[in-house]
Amino acid sequence: MTSQTSSGQGGVTGLLGQIGRVPPALLALILAVILFFVGGLLNPNFVNANQAVNIVRLAAFLGIVAAGQTLVIISGNEGIDLSVGGIVTLAAILIYRISDGNDTLLLPALGVALLAGTLIGVINGLGIIAINIPPLVMTLGMTGVIQGTILVVTQGELIGDTPPLLAQVIAAPGPLGIPGVVIVWVVLGLLMWLLLERTTYGKQLFAIGVNRRTARLSGVRVPQVVIATYALSGMLAAFGGFVLLGFTQTVFLNLGGPYLFPSIAAVVVGGTLLAGGKGGYFGTMSGALVLTLIESLLRAAQLQEAYQLMVFGLILLALLTIYGRQRNLRQ
Amino acid sequence: MTVSLSAQHVVKRYGGVVALADGHLEVRSGEVVALLGANGSGKSTLSKIITGVVAPNEGQLQLNGQPITFASPRDARRAGIAAVYQELSLIPDMSVAENIWLTHEPYQLWRVNRRKMRQDTQKLLDLFGGTYRASLTPDAPINSLPPDERQIVEILKALSFQPRIIILDEATASLDSQQVDRLFDLVARWKSEGMAVVFVSHRMEEIFRIADRATVLRNGRHVGDRLMQGTTERDLVNLMIESAAQPHAHERPPLQADAPVRLQVENLQAGPIAGVNLTLRDGELLGLGGLQGQGQSELLLALFGALPISRGTVTLSGERVRYGHPWEAMERGVAFVPGDRGSEGLLLSRSILENMHLPSWAKFGFPLKMRQAEAEAQRSADELRLVMAGLGAPVSSLSGGNAQKVVIGKWLLRSPRLLLLNDPTKGVDVGAKGEFYTLLNQLRAQGTAILFYSSDDDELIGLCDRVLVLHDGQVSADLRGGDVTRVNLVSASMGGGGAVVGG
Repeated sequence: MTSQTSSGQGGVTGLLGQIGRVPPALLALILAVILFFVGGLLNPNFVNANQAVNIVRLAAFLGIVAAGQTLVIISGNEGIDLSVGGIVTLAAILIYRISDGNDTLLLPALGVALLAGTLIGVINGLGIIAINIPPLVMTLGMTGVIQGTILVVTQGELIGDTPPLLAQVIAAPGPLGIPGVVIVWVVLGLLMWLLLERTTYGKQLFAIGVNRRTARLSGVRVPQVVIATYALSGMLAAFGGFVLLGFTQTVFLNLGGPYLFPSIAAVVVGGTLLAGGKGGYFGTMSGALVLTLIESLLRAAQLQEAYQLMVFGLILLALLTIYGRQRNLRQ
Repeated sequence: MTVSLSAQHVVKRYGGVVALADGHLEVRSGEVVALLGANGSGKSTLSKIITGVVAPNEGQLQLNGQPITFASPRDARRAGIAAVYQELSLIPDMSVAENIWLTHEPYQLWRVNRRKMRQDTQKLLDLFGGTYRASLTPDAPINSLPPDERQIVEILKALSFQPRIIILDEATASLDSQQVDRLFDLVARWKSEGMAVVFVSHRMEEIFRIADRATVLRNGRHVGDRLMQGTTERDLVNLMIESAAQPHAHERPPLQADAPVRLQVENLQAGPIAGVNLTLRDGELLGLGGLQGQGQSELLLALFGALPISRGTVTLSGERVRYGHPWEAMERGVAFVPGDRGSEGLLLSRSILENMHLPSWAKFGFPLKMRQAEAEAQRSADELRLVMAGLGAPVSSLSGGNAQKVVIGKWLLRSPRLLLLNDPTKGVDVGAKGEFYTLLNQLRAQGTAILFYSSDDDELIGLCDRVLVLHDGQVSADLRGGDVTRVNLVSASMGGGGAVVGG
């Protein structure tokens, strides 16, 4: 209803209304392309194939970490996973330590890391469902537990090594000069689409995100779906740790921390409703690209670090305002 | 002081959609005018225009003969017009008194005079004295109240503005018969005091009870006015719908006394249910009656595994069952159409397709066979004559009657053997109701056992061979055949009535 009237109004509101009708995932993608060429205006060296590959590679790390976050946010009821940063770090440290630079131990080490991430996710889910702890509190608390455990077990000494195979698979340019991580990301994107749009779990996930009572009265086992979602989030975060280790080839205690808030921002910029029940992973992928591009742009503009942060925050606010309008229009 | 309101040739467009093409309404002091029309006929748009909620694109409103425009509901209230809506406007976390006096709290200097607010609230509540539970007090939070009491608060809130003209828009939908009687006594009093009343309702019987005149809309156009004296239900229904289908004129399939027993319930206790017995055979339509909130919803929820059973046994097709989750009941062919479409039956922002298949996705394998799912949903939509833009459209884009068809469709897709219905025609227009009754009879003919709670006595009389009336969580009467009459239903719902028979 309102969308029709808004087109009649001129000026900024009308323009925002127009923008608001483009699907969020596409909007973010268009924005990413525009930003890339704006970068070219600021710094002619910005626009070239190498730079493009580099940005997609950086976005891939963020995108992989944000995959689980997407599922958790879609599940609704204030769903959020603040433990992804901790899990990324834990997984990287586990693989670093278990494989100890040994290629043959890489897969078993990955298995252990994924299992650990899944387990943490299950505990998150159980706390939220069985003890009724709000997701924000539960996963924040879990972050503390993970960090404490890492400190106790390692005593602050991070020994081990990165298997050369991992670095090769993830970081080195593969076919057509595309790094392994980008291929991994694209495959993950397709799998996530399949999971969300073509499985019973995906359909039930959206259902519990919209209305848990309706879902339950339609036979959806809500607790199981919630626990599975946090478990998947934990597992995907652990996979993020695996990929990140391939890039950094070393570990430190706050390896995953800086990815936590961008992982949430990428989901939201990609058009997934923070309230749950609506969204998708292609949006998150676009969101990760946009965020990475903005960061690279600000760096290319050679602004001071403090100004970079300020501008980054302002751009985020502007983006979310546009999405907020869109939600109002659709209702 | 007399008052009159008239709306002439009012038009309301939402973008390209014409919600009201030619609206017309007049009401005067001491008069009750019923505003009639099927869902989508424009009657809510018209009532929103006269209460200042929406502004008309064309046409004119006149108050006491003077042209007037309302910029907001506040403007309309200041002019003495207040409305009671079915969609409740109450704030759940606030108390009854706070809700009623919101925006016009009594002040003592700079502070809200809470004592006066409570006293005034109690005075208002006394208007409905004896028809609500003791837990309804000025200090009770809204979210602790059942739907009927919330509706009463909503009515009192409108009254607190001391309107000269009051619009009751489906205000009786969640009230029980005793509360409706009280409301009608009040309406009679308002009339004698010179107030004007606009009454919007789906219940024909109520319209004949209190209205002096009916204004009928069809497809956004005013199609006629009728004085209630000298008109018939048939005549009004004919005006409302082009091809008048009498809702209650239908053939009932014969009752098969020897059909296998589908459901047997013995001494069931769950929540407010205090020992209910019943037997339901294949192809039987068993009605549940009684006042609102006597345990009908809870009985259905318990039989669907959504409410834990504390004592008693449930036997389904000869097998004793005990469910921990609705999913287990569904696996045994039980389906449940809940009472509140929006909050219990539908995912409003999701597509029709996803709503239809929510209980059944698992059968489409991995990856989900979308083409097959779409074909099945389309077939079901066609059978139910669902009016929609497409299977991908969100359910929130549908009218009430069509939204309810989605809720029913999602269960029909599973071919249930036992169908539990919780007041399924609430807020559904006459045409869709008629289709629904036909559907119930088709299902019976196919051998589906149906347990059907309705807050509309006429529906129980028209459809059921047998009705169990619940009172305080127990069966207060078991009415069969010719005994299913309005008099018996009402007397049993008050706790008195026929022999208390179980089984």
